[in-house]
Amino acid sequence: MLVGLVMLAGGATAGVFGSLLGLGGGILIVPLLTLVFGLDLREAVGVSLVSVIMTSSAAAGVYLERHVADLRLGMRLELFTAFGALLGGSIAFLLDERLLAILFAALLGYVAFTMARGARSASNAPREPAATDDETAAEASAHDGGPDPMPGVPAYEVRNLRLGQLGATGAGIASALLGVGGGIIKVPLMHLAMGVPLRVATATSNLMVGITAAASSVIYLLRGEIDPYVAGPTAIGVFLGATIGSRLAHRVDLRVLRWLFVVVLLYTAVQMLLKAVA
Amino acid sequence: MTTIDRPDTARPTFERALGRLLIGLTYVAVALLAIGVALMTAQGISPLSGGPRFDASRLPADLAAAAPAGFLWLGLLAIIAAPISRVAAAAIGYARTSDRAMVWVAIAILVVIAASIASAVIAS
Repeated sequence: MLVGLVMLAGGATAGVFGSLLGLGGGILIVPLLTLVFGLDLREAVGVSLVSVIMTSSAAAGVYLERHVADLRLGMRLELFTAFGALLGGSIAFLLDERLLAILFAALLGYVAFTMARGARSASNAPREPAATDDETAAEASAHDGGPDPMPGVPAYEVRNLRLGQLGATGAGIASALLGVGGGIIKVPLMHLAMGVPLRVATATSNLMVGITAAASSVIYLLRGEIDPYVAGPTAIGVFLGATIGSRLAHRVDLRVLRWLFVVVLLYTAVQMLLKAVA
Repeated sequence: MTTIDRPDTARPTFERALGRLLIGLTYVAVALLAIGVALMTAQGISPLSGGPRFDASRLPADLAAAAPAGFLWLGLLAIIAAPISRVAAAAIGYARTSDRAMVWVAIAILVVIAASIASAVIAS
């Protein structure tokens, strides 16, 4: 019972941090399950994927209701993220777990670097361009009765669709290999390369996370890499944490939190590397 | 430069319905998982004891016997089904608005998902 509570609390912590910092929970769930609970990396990735679907689906629902997400663009890119996830989900079973751990450590390092850069320039803004699977923004505004977001979204025309499709395929592969939402790739891609406003890019990325993770999680599920006893408490914890985080977002000094998180990410990256070479 | 039109002027009304579908399925999944976790706790099952592998044929019996794995698997399936159902519902919505291109996009996404399932079944 104690292990279950710790797992639920760990998932909730991942959800709170992820939601406050605009990250999907996956980047924290995988290290939590591998380093703290000793699960195999692939099993942790499978559990992480279903947790990511759960938090993103709730938020994507709010985004769709409020017409913040660009459904047409999202679906055009989803075709490619899903294809990438199919590839990544298949490749994941061919790769050595140590290589996956090294890739995950590299991802953690990259996110830490991005976050440190954002923290240096941030002036305690609640949401920054580094945000990835920012499910909390929609949830926060929904819970707090915020304004309808559409008036704040400028008109835009999507460009570089082919580049977007290529990047979406890469995001799908990364998501399936590492158990993350892939927003760290999709949001900058849509915003910087495709001309989509940040708010819409974030919402659309969130919408795409669900189908991307679904395409790969079925592979993990049918190949026996998802343990329901681990996935249940973890997913509930992440969901509760993300909900709590969305309510705390406007009360927390995100600058301090970002720097704290950078340290946590770097420490985790080192631990993952040590695990890989051990 | 490849462009597509921004659809904000004619956002289909079914987007709201899709949003409600996603939210509804998520809460159903949370409820099922919560029941499963509560049963696990009541029966003293540790999360690290190694759960049963997914077997669709055992699901009805597990649910009838109030076995934790039954509710947990059903909750996990509901989670995975949520975005897939959203795409299927979008296909219907776009078909009603005669947007053939988006109907084909939706069908293609579902084909990729089906390919994922097929590849996993073959591999396992």
